[in-house]
Amino acid sequence: MITLMAAFVLVLQIAMVGQRWLVTNIRVFAAQSFLLAGIANTIAYFNHAPHLYIAAFLTLSLKAVLLPVVLERLVKRIDIGQEIAPLVNVPLSLLISGGLTTVGYVVADSFHHPEDLVSPASLGRNTLAVAISLFLIGFYMMITRRKAIMQVLALLSLENGLFLAAISLTYGMPLIVELGIFFDLLVAVMVLGILVYRIKETFDSMDVSKLSRLRG
Amino acid sequence: MAAVLLFGILAVPVAAGALAFRARSRRAMEAINLIGFAALLLLAVALAAQVLRAGSVSIWNGFLAADSLSALVVLLTAFVALACSIYAVGYFRDDERNHVFETDVLRRATISSLHQYYSLTPLFVFAMLLVALANNLGVMWIAIEATTLASVFLISFYGRATSIEAAWKYAIIGGVGLSMALFGTILTYYSAHHLVETETLAGLNWSVLVLNAPQFDKTTMKLAFILILLGYGTKAGIAPMHTWKPDAYSEAPVPVAAMLAAAVLNCALYGLIRFYVLTTKCLGPPFASHLLIIFGLLSVGVAVPFVLVQRSFRRLLAYSSIDHGGIMILGLGFGGALGALGMLLHLTFHSITKPLLFFCAGNVEQHLRSDLFRRAKGGIIHSMPVSGPIFLMATLAVTGTPPFSMFQSEFTILRAGFGGANFFPAILMIVLLVAIFIGFLVHIAKLVLGADPGLPPADSCPWKKYSLIGLASVVVVLGFWLPGPLFELIQDAARVVRGE
Repeated sequence: MITLMAAFVLVLQIAMVGQRWLVTNIRVFAAQSFLLAGIANTIAYFNHAPHLYIAAFLTLSLKAVLLPVVLERLVKRIDIGQEIAPLVNVPLSLLISGGLTTVGYVVADSFHHPEDLVSPASLGRNTLAVAISLFLIGFYMMITRRKAIMQVLALLSLENGLFLAAISLTYGMPLIVELGIFFDLLVAVMVLGILVYRIKETFDSMDVSKLSRLRG
Repeated sequence: MAAVLLFGILAVPVAAGALAFRARSRRAMEAINLIGFAALLLLAVALAAQVLRAGSVSIWNGFLAADSLSALVVLLTAFVALACSIYAVGYFRDDERNHVFETDVLRRATISSLHQYYSLTPLFVFAMLLVALANNLGVMWIAIEATTLASVFLISFYGRATSIEAAWKYAIIGGVGLSMALFGTILTYYSAHHLVETETLAGLNWSVLVLNAPQFDKTTMKLAFILILLGYGTKAGIAPMHTWKPDAYSEAPVPVAAMLAAAVLNCALYGLIRFYVLTTKCLGPPFASHLLIIFGLLSVGVAVPFVLVQRSFRRLLAYSSIDHGGIMILGLGFGGALGALGMLLHLTFHSITKPLLFFCAGNVEQHLRSDLFRRAKGGIIHSMPVSGPIFLMATLAVTGTPPFSMFQSEFTILRAGFGGANFFPAILMIVLLVAIFIGFLVHIAKLVLGADPGLPPADSCPWKKYSLIGLASVVVVLGFWLPGPLFELIQDAARVVRGE
């Protein structure tokens, strides 16, 4: 069940890599966060980790609803071209994402201890692999995307990978840490949103490859 | 007593930030910042004294805790914050006089710019203090991320296209780097979770983890340390993750750049040290040492060509900071009693000397309205009789020339290298440091000395002048006399680094 949902999360991440439209990308991210909240709920239910319900609720309200709405507004407000214009073309990107997923599985394998059956990692080894893949693909997106707002989105999906790793490895971090991370995330998106707006005002574009006056 | 101190240290900057946000006039904002940071320094000294006398202190079930290492970082942060706030008064008044801010009839734009500086800076300082005082490694990560978020708008302060570019790179590179550090924190938690109670907050407390570190899962801990090194290394500006640094340091207002260089660097390294202790306890010293030596040498090495051919003196300072970050990492990597001691001595001396260099550079930049060497025709010393000579002196101090204190710390680190059979890295370090020394000195000497280009006299603002002279005297005195209690604190902190 969890593995199936995690697989869907990964599919959505790869869909994001293959997507050309900005708004669709934001919605894919929302769907991914929604699934993640589902995974957190399931783990909370089956493993009696009540504080995960709160994390799940926050994921749902912040990452699946609030942040996508904010980002979509930002897109509308600054009225940018909808197409993403990545640096690497889509088929090659998909191929690289596939490769990164394999890397994720190889790395996750080193955490597997057959003798250690009580460890939550043995429950969600696939989930961990997915988490590492999300992290790597998010990283890849950061590097290859030119639009400022896509970089923000890639950072958020990278964070989703971390959240998945945290819940699959240890049933989540202690609650106050989880809350702090969500708060940081919220502030980060606000700060980056304002910066995106100012980049657009100053450079009349959101293409971060134009940010190249500072050298040496 | 301990509760009052720890709580007070965190509460004072928050209060100062809130008050400055409500303040109506420039004078009020300046006063609030000065008084706030002076009070903070007193509290920090009291905390250091308390820790020296009675050992580590903690409150709220160990949520906030201070051992000698935290006390040292808090003390340095408070010192840098106070020095910068004194300098900032003169700096921003001169900015206003030079019409740097967009102004309307009512001077509203100026006031709102100043609002931004005077209310964000205390928050920025608060986040740095929380890094040092949080016992929980997760909370520490949150605080380090908060230092990034609080300083983004301080870097884009002037609103130029280039400063927005710098702020964007800072936020994005910092964000990605810190996400790696978060992954490392999660993995550390995982490698420990079968030992300590996970459901509670204490499961991530450093003071709890350090007792159980030898039983951690070894494979996981290896990966965790690599991620932490990359993550907090990005925040510290260790090569090859240093690319945000020259941009941010040259675009931010001088007091902010000085705080980034002298205080945030400490916080990032502090985070790294906490994990270094766990890793060496779990895996033994060689694993972490090798990685640290490689990254340290890379940082010092990367700085060399950029220092030699640098065109702007603000960016020159950034490469100097990358170089010093590398030296500290090398000290940690060489290890042993001398390595840890040398690293912390260097951290301390760097925090005290670096702001001086930034203030001098700031004065010269405001005088010339540019930070490019080619705009300056040399001979700054004729129009700036105070900033000019001190700039030269600070350059000598920062490049580790005797009798200044940074020579002693670099020498200690080198001795650790030779003593620990790291001959090759230590020799390479000497060669690179000499190259940086030459490049740095040639650039600054050309700028300061030479025939009089006939610029109008500067150095009239008393705030800028006396903050410079005051800090310069501290640097000179420190070359000959390190106060006993401070040295005791550093020695004690070195024991924490070695995990004793």
